[in-house]
Amino acid sequence: MVTPNGHGNGRAALEVTGLRKAFGSHEVLKGISLTARDHDVVAILGSSGSGKSTFLRCINLLEIPSAGEVRVKGELIEMTQRRGEPAPANMKQVDRIRSKLSMVFQQFNLWQHMTVLENVTAGQIHVLGRDKAEATEKAEAMLAKVGVADKRSHYPSQLSGGQQQRVAIARALAMDPEVMLFDEPTSALDPELVNEVLRVMRSLAEEGRTMLVVTHEIGFAREAANKVMFLHQGLVEDEGEPRALLANPNSERFRQFLSGSLK
Amino acid sequence: MDNVVEYLPLLLQGLRTTLLLAVSTVVVGLALGMLLAMAKLSDHGWLKRPAYALTNFLRGIPEFLVLLVIYFGGTQVLNSILPPGTIEVSPFVAGLIALALIFGSYASETFRAAFQSVPNGQIEAGRAYGFSAWKTFRYIQLPQIWRVAIPGLGNLWQGSVKDTALVSVVGLDDLMRKSGQAAQSTREPFTFYLVASLMFLLITLVSMWIIGRLEKRASRGMAGVR
Ligand SMILES: Nc1ncnc2c1ncn2[C@@H]1O[C@H](COP(=O)(O)OP(=O)(O)OP(=O)(O)O)[C@@H](O)[C@H]1O
Ligand SMILES: [Mg+2]
Repeated sequence: MVTPNGHGNGRAALEVTGLRKAFGSHEVLKGISLTARDHDVVAILGSSGSGKSTFLRCINLLEIPSAGEVRVKGELIEMTQRRGEPAPANMKQVDRIRSKLSMVFQQFNLWQHMTVLENVTAGQIHVLGRDKAEATEKAEAMLAKVGVADKRSHYPSQLSGGQQQRVAIARALAMDPEVMLFDEPTSALDPELVNEVLRVMRSLAEEGRTMLVVTHEIGFAREAANKVMFLHQGLVEDEGEPRALLANPNSERFRQFLSGSLK
Repeated sequence: MDNVVEYLPLLLQGLRTTLLLAVSTVVVGLALGMLLAMAKLSDHGWLKRPAYALTNFLRGIPEFLVLLVIYFGGTQVLNSILPPGTIEVSPFVAGLIALALIFGSYASETFRAAFQSVPNGQIEAGRAYGFSAWKTFRYIQLPQIWRVAIPGLGNLWQGSVKDTALVSVVGLDDLMRKSGQAAQSTREPFTFYLVASLMFLLITLVSMWIIGRLEKRASRGMAGVR
């Protein structure tokens, strides 16, 4: 599929193969594979507890996968065994890859002791090694893009939820990520603040950012994504092109989920 | 009054020793407290248990006793290893070790609580953006830990300043001892103990002012929280 914003055109940005994750004896992910090409926007749907967050967190190793492979821009994240448990082989590699996978959290997770501007420059300076002037210039551009440039000297506690989440998105963008991971970015927001964040995310999709978005916003999935993935009990229960799939799911469970009976 | 002027240089010498011991105690004690706090929060029982045992023990016995045990015990241990007389535990070193151990034990509790006050989500955000464990500590946790810990550490500092007076008993030439000497020679104990008290009070007032400044600086932007 070829679209004006380049959906589906690119080379593989993120390849996940056979990802599994168990917490103790509870197997949450039972073998999930996904390829996101450059400019892809993948919406990940599923009922509560189906493992959506765990899937995203395994990609950047906030959770250590029990099995499976993750490749970012072709580079395999190397794993090893430590005391019989899977563990990253090389933390330096993990940190480097993480800096290419910006995550946007449900609870924003802005750093409370830093101003808005400092939140957006910190990673650039301390992780990417940019100098302060360059980082500040980039941060200002990203804050303007998400529409909170006038809040640069404020602290997160002085902002509304919608503003905080837009700052968090600016923080993610400033890292020039290969792939952005969104974990229910609008779920913690008051209803009237949801749209300002969705609007920013749509514009990112349109400019060709590669994004994985866990969301309950079916409208966003339909209009901004070029691929939908439905997780159920740790497996990909259904996937496909959003408009066709959402209009006519292959899976009965997905149909029930969409009609709201499974939530 | 003449006596006070005459003995002032002596008292100021003592004050210098007192301040030197108090400041050294805080420097060593802060490092120790931070390490003990990390040990307490560690997942490893072999780090956690000894840290709790040590600090509970030290907090449970009188400061003075800790000092005596280190002063006399330290000398005995050194004498049993080295030929007698080669080395002695100086009152200053014994005082520093004792007071720093005590400061570290209490500070470890202050730091532990402060560590836990930084929401996990902020730490995860650091890791997710490629901050190493050290950089996360340095740039995300530490500034917020300070903010929470400063008032508690300020109280500990005040305690340490006062506890230095104990060290005069094992022969440290501090403010306490010097004022005692002056009191004895002049037979004016009230005058000299009053002067010593005023000097301690001065230290307290100056440190309260500095701590207030530090607190204000560390909590920039945090006004809106809580
Ligand atoms: N650290 C953990 N330890 C143990 N179990 C966990 C942990 N994290 C998640 N789980 C379990 O894994 C399952 C999937 O959780 P996950 O948070 O990935 O679901 P989700 O699809 O994101 O749900 P939601 O829509 O509520 O955010 C749940 O049953 C949860 O209890
Ligand atoms: Mg979730």
